[in-house]
Amino acid sequence: MADIAISCVGVWKSYRIYHQRANTLKEKVLSRAHRYEDFWALKGIDLEVEAGTTIGIIGPNGSGKSTLLKTLAMVLTPNRGSLTVKGRVSPLLELGTGFHPELTGKENVYLAGSLLGQPKREVAKRYDGIVDFAGIETFMDIPVKNYSSGMYARLAFAVAISVDPEILIVDEVLAVGDEGFQMKCWERIAELRAEGRTIVLVSHSLPTVRTLCSRAVWLDKGTVREIGKAADVVADYLAEVHHETAENEQAGAGSHGRRYGSGVAEITEIGVLDGDDAHTGTFRTGDPLTIRVSYTIPEGLDDTICGIAVMRGENLAYVFGQNSGQAGVPLATGVGDIEFRVPSLPLLRGHYVITVVLHDGAATKIYDCHERRHWFSVFDNPSLPIEGGMVHVKTEWKAMPSTPVPVPTP
Amino acid sequence: MAGVEELYRARELTGNLVRRDLKVRHRGTFLGMLWSLTTPLLYVGLYWFIFTFIFRARDIQDATRADGTVVPFALYFFGGLVIWNLFATAVGASTGSVTGSGYLLGKVYFPRAILPLSTVLSAVVTFGFELSVLVVATLIFGGLPTLQWLWLPLILAIVTVLSFGLALLLSAVTVFLRDVAHFIGVFLQLWFWGTPIIYSLTFVADRPLLLRLLQANPMTGIVTSFRNVMLLNRPPDFKLLAYDALVALVCLAVGAKVFGRWQRQFAEIV
Repeated sequence: MADIAISCVGVWKSYRIYHQRANTLKEKVLSRAHRYEDFWALKGIDLEVEAGTTIGIIGPNGSGKSTLLKTLAMVLTPNRGSLTVKGRVSPLLELGTGFHPELTGKENVYLAGSLLGQPKREVAKRYDGIVDFAGIETFMDIPVKNYSSGMYARLAFAVAISVDPEILIVDEVLAVGDEGFQMKCWERIAELRAEGRTIVLVSHSLPTVRTLCSRAVWLDKGTVREIGKAADVVADYLAEVHHETAENEQAGAGSHGRRYGSGVAEITEIGVLDGDDAHTGTFRTGDPLTIRVSYTIPEGLDDTICGIAVMRGENLAYVFGQNSGQAGVPLATGVGDIEFRVPSLPLLRGHYVITVVLHDGAATKIYDCHERRHWFSVFDNPSLPIEGGMVHVKTEWKAMPSTPVPVPTP
Repeated sequence: MAGVEELYRARELTGNLVRRDLKVRHRGTFLGMLWSLTTPLLYVGLYWFIFTFIFRARDIQDATRADGTVVPFALYFFGGLVIWNLFATAVGASTGSVTGSGYLLGKVYFPRAILPLSTVLSAVVTFGFELSVLVVATLIFGGLPTLQWLWLPLILAIVTVLSFGLALLLSAVTVFLRDVAHFIGVFLQLWFWGTPIIYSLTFVADRPLLLRLLQANPMTGIVTSFRNVMLLNRPPDFKLLAYDALVALVCLAVGAKVFGRWQRQFAEIV
């Protein structure tokens, strides 16, 4: 059995909501009645996180996600219950934790590093990388109060993603700001995950949880509603949110996947694999991507066709779709696999969702359709120029000779 | 004790916080770190002028070295002030050490006690500068380094423990009762006059009740002993110093207990 990195047993946490807080002696003496009530943010959380797993915490606002995260980061002490954390914890609950405006960029890098649990020699080792990333070498020796907000954010962010923790506790508020930042942040988390670190993250971005996390916890009003495989928990959570706000579901951005079909032939497993045959769920533009569909097709259904469609996660814009029939590849009956290979992924940065279907040759009978149940994310490829839109297109710019324009006379 | 081990593990962070305190205090000033030297130097000059030309202070009985030479009153006073400043700066600044770090408390975990600890340690560093001025001034006014100086680390240890104990207590109390931050300034003023800094214990030797009262002040033995070893080539007042050490340990125990019990609520209240 794997090591348990974090173990919560029956954790309760309350906040005292003061109607009027007595901060001074006078107020303390004069106000006899205790004008406060207890608000229980966590009501008996049991949670075990195995070392090396990435676990996402999801739930509606006010469900206790941030409180749980702060409790795990040991910033808050539970009222009841016990919490055991094994390993060096780096909490990333905001950008620029511990930055002091009067100190220089360099001094702040070291101060913030030690606050995030990084030994000095580790920070020293990473210092050049941090400066490089922030791109502000010439400003490292002036106080950060003189930085522009953009410079400040870049430095804070560079420090945040430079941490090398055994256990990373990260709030999505870290990923505020532009999309480039967010993606870089998720990229770094994907990297740490690949190195086998334990990661706990809170996110409202369900595609992120689905692609980055192996497990997920669904919190509801301070209790654990469900804990399990990320895809299952996210799907169940979405099913409920969907149920509650059916009328809000227009663009389908929050749409949960569904599965339907006659079931005559069956898709038993769908894998989104990278070049090493691993289920990472994260890719860079230009990487190879393989979708492996495992199926069971009974004898006689010789004309079964497998179709795959890829859509953007946020608005379900249809990016491309193909089927094995058009490609002229027949599916053998019985138990088997078929692979859909993209040698070089042309998709640009973003979250994508796929639909996989088995149907008959005329596409009139749907045997099994996994609609929008599998997700993957694409990050920028640093070796390619920056482009906008959804797809990478190989292009060329050529400047043609110009002719002078006569200056108009008034 | 688990707390001590935790503090030791966070020593790098503590060092960084002390450095931050010192840097921030002098950042943006023209003289920078030199202020730590300039301020005490100006004080020495000022006291020398006032007590020599304005007050025409007669040398006090106590300010006589073992060999019979007399220490100028200005130096005698400055000697007491240097060790008092260590204590007063540490305790005075400690009240805000937790409340002033609210932005950290809610974001990262670290042993909370390093906040008052780092204010005490910054005061110790500042004391180092003032001590060097005192040493130079002593040499100028005819005193030579003596073996008695070897008692300095012991005295320093006692005053640091005393300051840290009070700092733990006061920084924790301030979180729940902000009045303490205002109250402490006045309180330290009173304490200053209740300590033989500008005078010596011999002034009240004929009034036993007052003498007893002054001796109950833990800073009395510390200031007296510090002056004895640094300026007068005399041994420390061991009886008073032993009492001070006891008080310091009691303060530390009470401070650690209170701080340890209340620190879990800091992040929510500050």
